[in-house]
Amino acid sequence: MPNIGELAAYLVGLVTGAVGSSSMRLGAAPTVAILLVLLVLLSLIARTGARWSPSDLGGLRRVGRVMALAAESGADATISLGSAGVSRAASATDRYQTLAALPLLGHVAAAAARAGVPLRVTTNDPVAALLAQATLAGAHRRTATPERASSAAVEYIGEGRPVAAAVALATSGPHGVAVVAGGLAEDALLVLDGVLGDAEWSLAATAAPSQAAGPLLDGDGSLVGPALFQAAGELGAAGHARTAVLAANRLIWGALGLLLGGSLLTWAGGPQIAAFLTGR
Amino acid sequence: MRRTILAGIVLVTGLLILVDLLLVNPSLTDAAGAVNELLVLLAAAAAVGGGATLVAHHVRVIGAGDGDSTGSIVLLAGMGAILVAGLRPGASGSSDPIVLWLVAALLAPIAASLFALLFIFLLGAVRRGFVLRARETSLMAGAAAVVIVLLLPVGGQAGDWLAASAGWVRDVPLAGVFRGLLIGTGILVAVSAARSMLALDRDDE
Repeated sequence: MPNIGELAAYLVGLVTGAVGSSSMRLGAAPTVAILLVLLVLLSLIARTGARWSPSDLGGLRRVGRVMALAAESGADATISLGSAGVSRAASATDRYQTLAALPLLGHVAAAAARAGVPLRVTTNDPVAALLAQATLAGAHRRTATPERASSAAVEYIGEGRPVAAAVALATSGPHGVAVVAGGLAEDALLVLDGVLGDAEWSLAATAAPSQAAGPLLDGDGSLVGPALFQAAGELGAAGHARTAVLAANRLIWGALGLLLGGSLLTWAGGPQIAAFLTGR
Repeated sequence: MRRTILAGIVLVTGLLILVDLLLVNPSLTDAAGAVNELLVLLAAAAAVGGGATLVAHHVRVIGAGDGDSTGSIVLLAGMGAILVAGLRPGASGSSDPIVLWLVAALLAPIAASLFALLFIFLLGAVRRGFVLRARETSLMAGAAAVVIVLLLPVGGQAGDWLAASAGWVRDVPLAGVFRGLLIGTGILVAVSAARSMLALDRDDE
């Protein structure tokens, strides 16, 4: 019969075996450097109240007022989450800008909900669309305006940066408030011009250094480079947990449906959709 | 409680990916690979769902007749053409010659013609910039004019001097600004990601 000593010896052997079968991928110095950077970051974020002092980046404090003006004039509001998406084949920094845009979306959506202004959100990524839907739901819950939720809509416009630019140009109009926030690339000026157009008030935000001129030229308010993340941090990630839970739940149901549908199709001798969808 | 579970999942997953980046271990590699496979599966499900909602939206537009019905019909016809080409019996999916032809002969030229509009829209953006903030836009347009002059195709001694000056502008001030933006963005991406991972931002629950 095994005793506690044998069990402890087994566990120790398991750990030492795992350590023995491992090697450092980057060498000692880079590994220590990465861990040091993490420690420094943790020390920076540990006392959030003392380290972060809010300012009015991009003129975001004006959103409530301009939304009220839009309500008076019967105008609408529109937001584009850029063209990088969350699950698209873009760089990690580009895609993270979409996540950083969600607090901005929440801020604008809350102002639109209070003022009763119709809001349209466009994105070229289905995962970002799910996150945006959850963000809108959170904004209506926070502002206790569920009866106005139907006036806010998220629209998935299709895949690709050219699609984002084409839809922005095709649907441009005189909006009351227009916002573009998120990752942009060579499509930046087309998206910015199309979405912001002749809006009464506009905000352009992207952290892509190569597209810094676009927001500066096109938006009443602009967030360039790290300012996008700073603004997101100052607004706070209100409802981030709820947003992620709601979006993840829908994604999981979608994945189960895909697995079931794909399996049934394969079983019935139909086409192999997996290879087609993944391009393999 | 739900927030704690979510933060825990994010923290464990993030640490797993980070440790896999630093260490070579077969078990870790398998675990990180499994997480990545799960992400691919979720993204595929989202893509199918996104396509379905796109179809539903444009069918609704056609049915209601209150939007751009022609555009919706063109979009649905395009989607149908690609799906039939890729999924018809005997087709080889996304690498099927018909799919590749549709992409190369239709999609790529349409995208190229869209991006060809960039010059015109740049002029439009500069005009708007002068309306919004004249001083900053003047500075930007002045700098752009200087760079254009430096890049003029002039030969001889003057041409060499212009080319050297253009190289200096690109390598010193422009590269400095870009690196500054990149470093600032990198730091705040890391801080922002850490704040999300550790659930340090305030929540409304």
